[in-house]
Amino acid sequence: MPVQSLQNTDVIVPQHTPHPLLPFLQSQSQTTLTRLYQRPSSCLSIFRLLGPIERQLIMNLLWLESALSVATISAWVLPEGKDAYDSALAVMTGLHIAQNSAVKLALNPTFKSSLRQAITGGGSTGSFGVPTDKDGKRQSANIENLDAYALERWETILHYMVSSGQGQNPTKPSQGVLYLLQRSGLMNNAHGPALQITSSGFQFLLHSPHDQLWNLLLQYLHMAEERQMDLVEVLSFLFMLSTMDLGREYSTEPLSETQKAMLEDLRDYGLVWQRKTSSKRFSPTRLATTLTSSSPPLPSSHSTGGSHTADGTGAVALSSGAAQQGFIVLETNYRIYAYTDNPLQTAVLNLFITMKYRFPNLVVGMLTRESVRKALGNGISADQIISYLTTHAHPQMRKNNPLLPVTVQDQIRLWELERNRLKSAEGYLYKDFASQADYEYVLAYAKQLDVVLWENASKRCFFGTLEGHANVRGFIERRTGSV
Amino acid sequence: MAPRNRDDNFMDVDSDSDISLLGDVEHRGKGKGKSKTTDKRKKDKGKAKAKEQAYTWEASYTRSWDTVQEDEAGSLQGAVEDLMARGRRRRLLAPAAAIRRTIIRHLVLLLDLSAAMMDRDMRPTRFDLMLQYAREFVVEWFDQNPLGQIGVVGMRAGIGERIGEMSGNPQDVLKCLSERTRLEPTGEPSLQNAIEMARSSMSHLPTHSSREILIIFGSLTTCDPGNIHDTLDACVKNKIRISVVALAAEMKISRDLCDKTGGQFGVAMNEGHFKDILFELVPPPAQRAVARAGGPGANPAADLMMMGFPTRLPDSSPPSLCACHSDMKSEGFLCPRCMAKVCDVPTDCDICGLMIVSSPHLARSYHHLFPVKPYEAVTSMEGESMPQAACHACARIFSTSVSTAATSEGMSPWGRYRCPDCHNDFCAECDVFVHDVIHCCPGCGK
Amino acid sequence: MEKASHLSVIVDLSPTQWHLSAQTSNQYPLSIETFLSQLLAFLNAHIASKHENSLVVFGALPGKSVLLYSSTELLSDDVPSLDANSYLPFKLVDSTVVQRIMNEFDAIGELEEEPSCALVGAVTKALCYINRITHPSSTTAGVAEDPSIVHDPRILILSVSPDLSSSYIPIMNAIFSAQKLKVTIDVCKVYGPDTVFLQQAAHLTNGSYIYLERRDALLQYLIMSFLSPTSIRKILAVPKQDKIDFRAACFCHKNIVDIGFVCSVCLSIFCQPLPVCSTCSFLSIHSNDSMLLAPFSLLQTHA
Repeated sequence: MPVQSLQNTDVIVPQHTPHPLLPFLQSQSQTTLTRLYQRPSSCLSIFRLLGPIERQLIMNLLWLESALSVATISAWVLPEGKDAYDSALAVMTGLHIAQNSAVKLALNPTFKSSLRQAITGGGSTGSFGVPTDKDGKRQSANIENLDAYALERWETILHYMVSSGQGQNPTKPSQGVLYLLQRSGLMNNAHGPALQITSSGFQFLLHSPHDQLWNLLLQYLHMAEERQMDLVEVLSFLFMLSTMDLGREYSTEPLSETQKAMLEDLRDYGLVWQRKTSSKRFSPTRLATTLTSSSPPLPSSHSTGGSHTADGTGAVALSSGAAQQGFIVLETNYRIYAYTDNPLQTAVLNLFITMKYRFPNLVVGMLTRESVRKALGNGISADQIISYLTTHAHPQMRKNNPLLPVTVQDQIRLWELERNRLKSAEGYLYKDFASQADYEYVLAYAKQLDVVLWENASKRCFFGTLEGHANVRGFIERRTGSV
Repeated sequence: MAPRNRDDNFMDVDSDSDISLLGDVEHRGKGKGKSKTTDKRKKDKGKAKAKEQAYTWEASYTRSWDTVQEDEAGSLQGAVEDLMARGRRRRLLAPAAAIRRTIIRHLVLLLDLSAAMMDRDMRPTRFDLMLQYAREFVVEWFDQNPLGQIGVVGMRAGIGERIGEMSGNPQDVLKCLSERTRLEPTGEPSLQNAIEMARSSMSHLPTHSSREILIIFGSLTTCDPGNIHDTLDACVKNKIRISVVALAAEMKISRDLCDKTGGQFGVAMNEGHFKDILFELVPPPAQRAVARAGGPGANPAADLMMMGFPTRLPDSSPPSLCACHSDMKSEGFLCPRCMAKVCDVPTDCDICGLMIVSSPHLARSYHHLFPVKPYEAVTSMEGESMPQAACHACARIFSTSVSTAATSEGMSPWGRYRCPDCHNDFCAECDVFVHDVIHCCPGCGK
Repeated sequence: MEKASHLSVIVDLSPTQWHLSAQTSNQYPLSIETFLSQLLAFLNAHIASKHENSLVVFGALPGKSVLLYSSTELLSDDVPSLDANSYLPFKLVDSTVVQRIMNEFDAIGELEEEPSCALVGAVTKALCYINRITHPSSTTAGVAEDPSIVHDPRILILSVSPDLSSSYIPIMNAIFSAQKLKVTIDVCKVYGPDTVFLQQAAHLTNGSYIYLERRDALLQYLIMSFLSPTSIRKILAVPKQDKIDFRAACFCHKNIVDIGFVCSVCLSIFCQPLPVCSTCSFLSIHSNDSMLLAPFSLLQTHA
């Protein structure tokens, strides 16, 4: 995500890109949402996905019993924040969190009581997951194991995607995952039986783990709709996972059938861990518990940047906010040094650089015209390459301003522009006209139809689009026939 | 001095200057720990090489990387900790009792705007660097001297030029320093003309305030209409302190100006050193300096001044006329004695003449008066039945293992520093933060 | 993307003042129990706003200040048992804060005379804590881009005690260091008269000072005025105080004065003219006495 580059600039009005889940929720009916809002954990999670202004407005209204007049509320808003306020209000009404009549504004009563319950505790909905008692016999999975598990699952998926293009298939993810990848259009089997990564799949690889996760989950939600699963149950299970405590075990007893079925899918994605498929308990992994936090803390070991992991894991386990370390150093001579031993990261880098050397903890490569063009050919855009390099820049690089050498950035963009010189279109070439008059006559007709893509008067030929062919051909036939 | 020995001829003329420079640097030993290390080494080297080499300025050249020593393992940890220890010791040496300082300060900043300032031996040019540091200096100066005033005078084309009037508002001063094109250097500087101008603008000031001139001087010449020593005598008589930061070499007259008036003199060796010696002039000078300058019989007057602390009216209050400009305004300050409304503080009330200041302005300088007692490094854990588990201030857990690197004096191997009054333990970071920023011990609350 | 925000809450826990506050003769009596329950809801709301938000609670008790809760350190070993109906971080805050306050109150015991509340200690501790989390020491592993470095740290002081004039200088020093660290200090005056120093604290750090008029609506006040980080305050307005009193405390009798005598050397403030400045022991010049006393007598007649 390019947001990282905003780091140093003073953001005057808080920038907030709406969470990808929100449009999906907005497309749901009011009854679905109201059912969803019955669970405090869902309300809390949705609350966290909202922008800062929405959150403050909700909090302001949360403890009021009666509706407030719109005039009173807009009196809080400073003139320069009017637009931000209006859009916040639109989001809230779209989600049916706020009930907006022309004069009064109040929260959805279900949402209100559930969020209150979430904050004060109590109630009997059990929406935060029923923990299991400590089991003396088997020790529950500790946090490192969970992280390793989540990481392994997640990287299997990504690695499968990256390597499919090269034809060397590592461990295959489960069938469910493959289906989901295919459904979401990240991979397809257009060229033979094996799945091939698509251009959107390439783009997907360069996203932050948090975005990738939500991307897949959104697809999962769409799929759930088709599979006639109860969307409310699916969503509330996801939200419940996001409020659970890392490193604890929860009981599967109170889950509904749909949710138990989901458990299997989520296990494949690495969101939950179970000792056995038949186990009566499960533990959420870090992927699940950070679903609603905005900075994407995938398990820390994601950046197996050599020495970082050794002392990194302990510290990160405490503060979930610690993100992965950057590992890429890019020099003005287009050389890239990537301090990583992670095959996935190497594979992703391989999408757009030419590898030179590989060492146990270091990969050296070059950004070349060929390598970047290959990436562009795969549907990756120059901006995505740049933002990937920016987000994963080594701490040493962070001292530079601008972060990436300008020459390299510009050149990547130029290489992209280069590709745009050629545009392909299917069509027909008309040539060998008998006379100049014939040629001009037909050309004039074709131009009337606006189907001419290219013309050359001296060679007496022109190129027309596919759609226009039938007409032009008919015209020529009529003309030759009439002569 | 190495960057500037491009012209051996003039260096010959001034060859005695480097010796006195070293002496001066040594004299200023209370500076930042870092610069001190450099200075010390410089001096040692100077001594050693003086025997073999004829020219002291050649001897004074030290490579910056020589000043840091790696330990056996090739780590700089030891050197860094040594620096920290020095910092701590410096604080321990500082007198804990209240020092008398002049707090109402008046300063004229004399900027050299002669052609010599376009020299590129400091990056990007001496002139640009001077402007940049001058702005930073002004900000820091007002932060520490809230009741002070700064005026700006430039020296160019043989005359003194008033760039900014004496003002207590940092924004005014910064504004006149911000227009680079207006200050474009040209011609020869004239110290005498500029000092006379600065002196006249301070002649009316009350006796209890300090009068200071700070000269940033890049030229090696001055072209004066009369005898500059007369000007110097006048300054001594008016108790004006002159400090000079020279960017080129030392000149006899600039050193005389400082020595006779009790100011400080320094030659900037590089960009960092320039900033260091400039910023040493930020804290209010201790009172003894003035006494020394004044000589016998010059007992600086200390009056108790009556001051009022106003009430600030909010922006939403009903508008009314102000006493100073007769403008209709809603915001403003109420004089506590006559309840007249004035626009801005600090000022004198236009109705009753009471000096109105905002008390936070005064309070900003109190940490000079009541410094926190230095914490003692805990060097022995014996006899501690229940050592505190975490830093009393920031709740950082103390490590139980002994750090081997910290063997030098003033450092605690446990990273614990104890307040002599409340006997609470603090971590090294909080120790520095408490003494440098907060000026208030979290344990004793004073 | 929006950053995590840090909130340090300082709770004034003066038993005497809370006892007075709970008395039914007040228009809106507020006992410490109700206060705490509403405060906890507010703290939870802060944590709820963002997963990464950090929270520290300090208590200013008579004669000492204590850390009640910190989101980065586990203060008590016994983690509360999970239950299905509450979010664990909320429960952790609630139980830790309540338990620690109870412990502290039990420890106070019956004292003849209650020492004044160590508000300054709590504020300086909060500042040290903020200094620690905003400037992680170079020794920690994460070198440059650590998103756990918080932006926009804030301190909220919930005050019930009146101004303690002896703490004038330390509190001003604390305010200036807050300014340097770019920390916003918000003040909610829950009970008792307006405090001049805290008004100045809020004003100088661009925070808001609110005198709680309707004390039954404490939670609504807290949420509307003190929950939003500074970036949101540019869009949704937050009430500011109307009048700021710039009075200071004199050094000699610790009186709060609006007209004082200031030593021209060290700027110490005195409520009456002295021959010798007690701070810097500077002799004031006798020749000026007449000039000095003239306005003083004027003042007397004025009063």
